[in-house]
Amino acid sequence: MAGVTYKNVWKKFGDVVALEDLTLNIEDKEFLVLVGPSGCGKTTALRCLAGLEEVTSGEVLIGDTVVNDVAPKDRDIAMVFQSYALYPHMTVYDNMAFGLKLRKVKKDEIKRRVEEAAQILGIEHLLKRKPRELSGGQRQRVAVGRAIVREPKVFLFDEPLSNLDAKLRVQTRAEISKLHQRLQTTFIYVTHDQTEAMTMATRIAVMNKGLLQQLDTPQNLYDRPANLFVAGFIGSPAMNFFPAHLRKDGNSLYVDSGDFAVKIPEERNNVYMPFAGKEIIFGIRPEDIHNPDFAPPGIHAAPVESKVDVTELMGYEILLYLVSGKNNYVARVDPRTRFKVGDQVQIVFNMDNFHIFDPSGDPENPVAIR
Amino acid sequence: MRKPYRWKSFLPNYLILTLFLLVVFLPIFGVLLSSFKTQTEVIQGPFHLPREFQFNNFVNAWTTGRFSDYFRSSIIVALAVVSVSVFLSTLTGYAFGVLSFPFQHILYFLLLIGFMTPFEAVVIPLYHFMYRLGLTDTYWALILPQIGLSVSFGTLWMTGFFRSAPQELIDAAAMDGCSRWQMLWLVLWPLARPAVLTLVVLIFMWTWNEFLLALVMVQKETLRTLPVGLAFFQGRYTADVPRLAAGSIIVAGPIVLVYVLFQRYFIQGLLGGAVKG
Repeated sequence: MAGVTYKNVWKKFGDVVALEDLTLNIEDKEFLVLVGPSGCGKTTALRCLAGLEEVTSGEVLIGDTVVNDVAPKDRDIAMVFQSYALYPHMTVYDNMAFGLKLRKVKKDEIKRRVEEAAQILGIEHLLKRKPRELSGGQRQRVAVGRAIVREPKVFLFDEPLSNLDAKLRVQTRAEISKLHQRLQTTFIYVTHDQTEAMTMATRIAVMNKGLLQQLDTPQNLYDRPANLFVAGFIGSPAMNFFPAHLRKDGNSLYVDSGDFAVKIPEERNNVYMPFAGKEIIFGIRPEDIHNPDFAPPGIHAAPVESKVDVTELMGYEILLYLVSGKNNYVARVDPRTRFKVGDQVQIVFNMDNFHIFDPSGDPENPVAIR
Repeated sequence: MRKPYRWKSFLPNYLILTLFLLVVFLPIFGVLLSSFKTQTEVIQGPFHLPREFQFNNFVNAWTTGRFSDYFRSSIIVALAVVSVSVFLSTLTGYAFGVLSFPFQHILYFLLLIGFMTPFEAVVIPLYHFMYRLGLTDTYWALILPQIGLSVSFGTLWMTGFFRSAPQELIDAAAMDGCSRWQMLWLVLWPLARPAVLTLVVLIFMWTWNEFLLALVMVQKETLRTLPVGLAFFQGRYTADVPRLAAGSIIVAGPIVLVYVLFQRYFIQGLLGGAVKG
């Protein structure tokens, strides 16, 4: 059992910076998910920890030990790969036993561990088969089993579900969560799928372009994204953004997009007052836009006129694609809503949950004002 | 429902294939037929069937042509060259395909020069070199240069295979605790079977058919390999076509046999780089 620490880690491939000054502290027994779009550096971070890549500078620690110069096999970690990477010429048993055999573990101990792992994963009946005789889901389990038998300090998962079909993915997701509870070991899990990140993680590290954007619990990432990138990446459908102007009118503050103006609740005035008169980006999640007829009671509802462009009935909700002047945005409304395409309607923004970003510092990725 | 077999649309394909087949096969067939004929039957034309199959021609050729000596030489040389070349090519291919080390590209390039250089260009200096070492008129003079030449191609071939091996498998083996040596022999080598067997067939064929080196390097009759033996044999019995034909069949037989045995892997190996399994 051990935590993992990245201390000012840089990784460059020639001129390409894959990791830029990554500092990250992963606690013992934590389920940390590294999430981000492809090419964000999350897999590189994992491979640097595994020892499959050397860091350009900085330190990687497992527990209290700096492992920069330790060979992958001596780092006491196990990894599950996206393509499963099973040895095609070995049986399932041998695939799982291989790492132990190389470590000269006694035969009966190997047998005990492999059988125990097989039992946890429900693959006892497959032990004599070759990987090509298994389905994708079964191969996935064998790959996990190969990691379990090693009884490592840290488990690494590199997009382990992306080769499975949607239904199996949801099922396996829950199983990996259960496995984490059972093994009580540090899990580090890389994915580009924010749903996987949200559902499994103790904490999530959101990365983009080699930079750590935010490290927080799933709930905090969702409620209090640190910047525009995180706000847009976490949540599906993604948060709506409107370039706007923060207008002061007496003692009130308004977000004025040109096409609509919504009032900021007064108790939050002090946060935003310093930005009065400035250009900002206003963000609101689709689930915080309501049909007034079904809006939750007691919210600060700000009415906005919109035209319905597309409606998508999902069963338990309706996605409305709306147009207000030059702004397009999505609302997730009550399924009893009866708006039709082309209708001019009034919807309400729940002004208890909104985000304002300041583009004056980094216009590429404005930070949230809090 | 199965589609009806539309032979008409396949007809042109088969016509062309048959034509090619004839071009390739007729001369061989002619030689094969001649090897079973008597002297007089040969004059009646190459595709004229013999009245009675003269298996005696083979016995004749074998004994008068000293083919047992040549055969032994060829087998010794071919086995040594194939086994050592394939082993070394596996090592170099693994080094260039999977590992990374300083001067990798320049070394790879140098190794491939051997593959680009026509053998005729180096055979005379090579002879002097071997002579100085006192190795002419020994099997070494046949084996060592051919290993050298085969490893060039073998490196190219095996590097191609190792480069196409899935990176995640290599990573998984590293995490499982494989040393480099174990990774090669326990993980990658078993996957390399089609590539290795193809290399075996190719090197065997080239070594078996090698003529110039064997002609230059050895004078002792007992050390001669089959192609050289056949050439001398042909010089002696120019008129005895059936016996010559029988000798040719004896020389060509083993290659055909090796190819037939390995052809399934051979095709797999040739396609291995192009089509991802």
